Amino acid sequence: MNLLFSVVIGALFASGVYLLLRGDLFRVVAGIVLVSNAASLTLMASGLTRGQAPILPLDEGRGLADPLVQAMTLTALVIGFAVTAVLLALSLGVYRSGRSLDLGDMTRREAEEAAEREAGELAQDVEAPEEATL
Amino acid sequence: MTFIVAPVAVLIGAGIVLALIDGTRRAAGVVAIAALTVATVMLCVLLGRVAADGPQAVVAGGWPADVGITLRVDALGAVFAATSLAIVLACAVQTVLRGVSSRITLALTVFMGAGLTGLFLTGDIFSFYVFFELAMICAYGLTAAEGTEGRFRAAFTFAVVNLVGSFLFLIAIGALYRATGTLEMLAVAERAAELNPNTALLLAVTFLVAFGVKLGLFPFHAWLPAVYLAVPAWIAAMFAGALANIGAYGLVRFGGAILPRELGVAAVAVIALGGVSIAYGAVQAMSRRATREVLAYSSIGHAGYVLVALGLGGPVGLAAAVIFSIANSLNKALLFLSAELRGPLTAGVFLVGTLSVAGVPPSAGFFGKAALFEAGVDAGSIATVVLLFVGGALSFVYLLQIYQHDRWRPREERDVPTPKEIAPRAQRTVAAVVAAVVLALGLWPQPLLAIGDQAAAELTVEAPR
Repeated sequence: MNLLFSVVIGALFASGVYLLLRGDLFRVVAGIVLVSNAASLTLMASGLTRGQAPILPLDEGRGLADPLVQAMTLTALVIGFAVTAVLLALSLGVYRSGRSLDLGDMTRREAEEAAEREAGELAQDVEAPEEATL
Repeated sequence: MTFIVAPVAVLIGAGIVLALIDGTRRAAGVVAIAALTVATVMLCVLLGRVAADGPQAVVAGGWPADVGITLRVDALGAVFAATSLAIVLACAVQTVLRGVSSRITLALTVFMGAGLTGLFLTGDIFSFYVFFELAMICAYGLTAAEGTEGRFRAAFTFAVVNLVGSFLFLIAIGALYRATGTLEMLAVAERAAELNPNTALLLAVTFLVAFGVKLGLFPFHAWLPAVYLAVPAWIAAMFAGALANIGAYGLVRFGGAILPRELGVAAVAVIALGGVSIAYGAVQAMSRRATREVLAYSSIGHAGYVLVALGLGGPVGLAAAVIFSIANSLNKALLFLSAELRGPLTAGVFLVGTLSVAGVPPSAGFFGKAALFEAGVDAGSIATVVLLFVGGALSFVYLLQIYQHDRWRPREERDVPTPKEIAPRAQRTVAAVVAAVVLALGLWPQPLLAIGDQAAAELTVEAPR
């Protein structure tokens, strides 16, 4: 069981990271979803114990299954779900303003803005002494 | 005990109310400021009690101690919580006075305050994660609020990079639970001492990466300048002054208290990483011209100091990390709040921040730097002392560069503020109050130093090696 879990988690995490490194906002979001599920599965795997369900009344002498990891995983799933919604909303915002989901376009526009900012600053710096000499 | 639960409850209640009403209305501002003030005052009372009587704990919901979630506050948590929330309050006051432009910003600010307070006050690792995610999601929202293109882009980068950090943290929690069988910080710290060294080192590295992302340490910093440049000054001040504290607190808590042996093993690597961060931040900051960008890179540099202090280790190193983090978050909040204000007094206020960052007395920053030097001398590490000195000198250069560029050139060469650009007096007063706090802590540093020493002592007693 442990081996199965680790192989599945490894595969999920690896695919998630692969998608994260792609140049497309939607794939990045999908990558985050996969990584978040890999994390949830890790939580589940951290408390894999066989035993009776932890509901009262309990039989004496038989071990209990660990209920804590399930509670944690549920919480983590809810958080992962909320985070996915936030990320999708953010990518919608980016798409609306640029009409593109390409990460390359996004970085290009960012670089252009930075260059403009730099140029503006420099122009100001160069102009200033000339004004002073006049 | 009520003082542990009540601040979070007040903030979450106010946050729900604010989320339902239009945040641009005057009433919303009043509710937000009132809730933040009440919570800050309660945290200050709590800090006073912790300083007098030692750590306080309460089990939520009246459950037996092993079953329920423990809320536990020691000097480390209390001082971080009070400082962070006070900074959030100052930033919120400044924006309410200027006029809130987006209906959700105040709700997100208050929820972020709740998340921050909760994570500093909890004694349970998983609820730490939940509060931390609450604060981070609000931060993504705050970055994107008002919805311009640049804001969305910055928020997307911010969210993706930090989420990878968060999920690594979650994986580390799972692994730590598997290894120790508990989630309560004290018990984890006790049992972590008997862990297999390989497991523990792997855990420690994962925690370091997770908190390094939040703090904006050198190899994980890529998101930081983009975000600080895109958001308005008051949000940048909250991120640099309050949100970055999560990273510093997490490193001290998980490195200093839970896995100190591994921190000792990796001390050289940790100091080297911190040193690279200091040098990289300072050099990048010197080469930038935009005020906000300089401050963003200087935050990366200052994250390095915390790491260096942790690497030096021992009670002195931990105390230095705490004192420096608190002084630094006040400095950063002050610089971001005042850098773009124009009008009478603002230059003086900004200069206080500059000198405090450079470590010139009398300022809080001086004692932060002094504690670091003390830790370096105590550990007998000449390289560290030289590094701290060079880092300090560089921060002096780049901050005075902005000061000179923005405020000191001949009148005809710089943009003289039109009467419209001069900030209202109330807004300037907020920045001046933060500056006064920085100066006051410089003139009377005893409380700050005492709480730092107490935090370090509690951490080392909890996890004796």
